[in-house]
Amino acid sequence: MSEEIDVRLEQEVAEFYQSLGIHQGPGDIQYRLILKVLSKNEGKITEFSEIREYTDKFADKGSIGSKMKTVFQLEGLAEKVKRGGYIITDKGITASNFLKDTTNFYKKNKRIGEIIERMP
Amino acid sequence: MSAGLLLNATICFAITISSFAFAWVLARSYPEHNDKSKPALWSLIALWSLVGLTYLPTTIRMIAAYMGDQRLDLMLYYVTAIPFSFVTVPLVFFILYVIIGDQKISGYISFLFVLFGATYLAFFYSSGVLGPVITPLSSLFTINSDIAINIYLIGLFVIPTAMIIGLLTLILLQRMPKRLRYRTALPLVAISFVFDFMLTDMITLDDAMQLAARIFVLIGTVQAFLAYFPPMTLQEKLGIKRYEYNLYEKEEDEEDTDLDNEDEEEADIIV
Repeated sequence: MSEEIDVRLEQEVAEFYQSLGIHQGPGDIQYRLILKVLSKNEGKITEFSEIREYTDKFADKGSIGSKMKTVFQLEGLAEKVKRGGYIITDKGITASNFLKDTTNFYKKNKRIGEIIERMP
Repeated sequence: MSAGLLLNATICFAITISSFAFAWVLARSYPEHNDKSKPALWSLIALWSLVGLTYLPTTIRMIAAYMGDQRLDLMLYYVTAIPFSFVTVPLVFFILYVIIGDQKISGYISFLFVLFGATYLAFFYSSGVLGPVITPLSSLFTINSDIAINIYLIGLFVIPTAMIIGLLTLILLQRMPKRLRYRTALPLVAISFVFDFMLTDMITLDDAMQLAARIFVLIGTVQAFLAYFPPMTLQEKLGIKRYEYNLYEKEEDEEDTDLDNEDEEEADIIV
């Protein structure tokens, strides 16, 4: 799984879910990006610095570290295997698949919205 | 000279009036639409105007048949073929534009249908028609060219109908508010109704079927009206009525007091 991460799209999707009142999970850009990076490195160790390459634009080191601890490690989505090194768990892959569904839902909803907008 | 022909003329006249009126109402609502929907709006106006222009000479043709003027009947049949051949052009533009949102691509593809229409007309005029056969209900002509009929069936009928069904399916498969579903699906059903029965009307050699097709075209036009301007009773029945409301704004303190009072009342009831 070495798909590219489109940060702008992830931001758009997160904003869409926020506009629906969903501020956690799919509506949280930090959660989306961390999970994307972890799933991109499925079966490999993800360095914290790699996560920060994507998240620095949105949050500081402290809040990403805190999110890793309070959400990803606590809920068992990722495990810390060394200092600054994480690996995604099976549960994390499930969360990542759900995230893909949320992106598809957003795209489908956007496409239909545009069709309706063009209908006189 | 049968009264059936007059009934036929009346139905054609009703279609003419209602399609022109609908086109006019749509044109008048132009400022209310956003820039994205304006190209589709213009194509709808063109579509309904072409429907009106097809049935206006047909009305006179039916009256001419009633009066026994076969020369005028034939001449107007040739005139009717012109707007009829190009009905698919705005229809194809409308569907493509709504789906893909690109004016240029939709324009180029609908231009192909101008060519289809022109080719149909070329074969139609060069081969001529057989008739008229005046029946108690109608005046019928037979197109004397197999190629024209094939172009008509494939280019002017099958492809646009498939496009309408495709768009309709796309909309019906989505979960969306009832009001939006009604607003988007019903115009398409109406257009499909009008379009398909217009083609049946033009190709059939059975007078009763032609009259029935014209009645359905009229029903389709009424449906289109209902799609854009649903009466209140229909809105209430279908649950698509927009509820008129004002935002409830109250001071926070007042609200807190209200909530406290409610809690107290509940406590009283429990006791």
